[in-house]
Amino acid sequence: MKLMLASGAALLAALSFPAPSRAAVAVGSPAPDFTATDSKGKTHSLGEFKGKTVVLEWNNPECPFVGKHYGSGNMQKQQADAAAAGVVWLTVNSAAKGKQGYVDGPAADAYVQKTGAKPSAYLLDREGIVGKLYGARTTPHMYVIDGQGTLRYMGGIDSVPSTDPDDLKGATQYVRQALTEISSGKPVSVPTSQPYGCGVKYGS
Amino acid sequence: MNFSGCVRIIFGMRVAQTPAIALPATLLAVAPARAAPVQTEHLAIELVAERTALVPGTDALLGVRLQHEPHWHTYWINPGDSGLETRLQWKLPPGFAAGSIEWPAPRRLAAGELTNFGYVDEIVLPVRIAVPADARPGGTARLGVVANWLVCEDTCIPGKATLELELPILADSAPDDRWQALFDHARAARPIASGWRGEARVSGGLVEITLAGAGLPADGELDLFPVQGQVLEAARPEFERDGERLVVHAQKSIYFANAPERLDLVLTAGVGESLRAWRASVPLIVGPEPASH
Repeated sequence: MKLMLASGAALLAALSFPAPSRAAVAVGSPAPDFTATDSKGKTHSLGEFKGKTVVLEWNNPECPFVGKHYGSGNMQKQQADAAAAGVVWLTVNSAAKGKQGYVDGPAADAYVQKTGAKPSAYLLDREGIVGKLYGARTTPHMYVIDGQGTLRYMGGIDSVPSTDPDDLKGATQYVRQALTEISSGKPVSVPTSQPYGCGVKYGS
Repeated sequence: MNFSGCVRIIFGMRVAQTPAIALPATLLAVAPARAAPVQTEHLAIELVAERTALVPGTDALLGVRLQHEPHWHTYWINPGDSGLETRLQWKLPPGFAAGSIEWPAPRRLAAGELTNFGYVDEIVLPVRIAVPADARPGGTARLGVVANWLVCEDTCIPGKATLELELPILADSAPDDRWQALFDHARAARPIASGWRGEARVSGGLVEITLAGAGLPADGELDLFPVQGQVLEAARPEFERDGERLVVHAQKSIYFANAPERLDLVLTAGVGESLRAWRASVPLIVGPEPASH
């Protein structure tokens, strides 16, 4: 009886707990392909970057956590270093129209110029399709995909959740660390971390 | 004698809500000194004491009182899918020592796709302050705390304030009537030690938590909050009564990593005035389920 109950409960669990509504991308698995339009109206797909390491960065220009990493120059420096190393850096904005952080193409370009950001492209994901596909929860929220299309890192930009730029001093920069390890053929030592920041402002 | 204490802001911080194209800068603005409570964006905050005086050799119960504007919230020790817990850094006279925040059980807050754990309306975050035995009656002590918080509705604003409270040191103290209801609420919502046994077993994408012991609440209006992040998804788990055991089916965090040896939990039953809260700590067992047990 006890055993039956246990297996019954397990079966019940399997049946009654659907997969999370948010996407279940997983480190070590293929990163799902997507197509999105950038701030200049150009369409990009993940597939076109095969052979290159790709960073996805979720952005909301008005979020104070994003402000910590742009106001301090941390994000732009990582973008520039990534570009120098041949890494593709896609900044993604999934804020819906009318929500905080929503930008159109010109506003995105102005933000990039004003902050001195160096992404390969700034993707406008106003329908939240890419964000929900990847389960992006916060801004920032970071993903690193290797040249084979395998997701190698997902989580926070660094190890100290805060809005205080002073905390950058003692923080481990997880994306930078992952890129360094991938480029030297090593396993990523911290493949996931808790993403921290503002919630992504999806539409309903 | 001024029993009401004195709270003032030394500096405050606000983050400008800028147009979409503007550079998101974290601006440090100096706010003028003013009487308690300190009004910041969407939150009023002040340092209060449960009693009117500090008594040498005893613990005084202080609290950071948070008054949220409607629809705005701040966060529990584990904020859930986004957000940031309120942090306190005490500045106390020599010999005084502050404990950690005695977190009241949080509320589950839905924010679109995300789930957060936090507080709304008016609450107090209680902290015990040990008053040294050699504190001199007749004097006063100035207790200070730097509070850092994130207050969110749909958007989020970080805040910081230095709060101070000056209290007399006396041989005896009386309740401060202004704050009794607030501290009573915090006490009622503070998770009590349950003594329950159990385990949290990770299997595939699920974590099954079993609890057993005296005083387990019956089914109904149950909720469960993990103290540590990166173990459970923040979404509400499902509860099942299996004889004497309470079984909680939770989803494993997709950010599961650095699993602690023990998972600390807060279980709540009821809501509002009838809320009860317990804490439990169970071993976290990772791996496939044994063939039989």
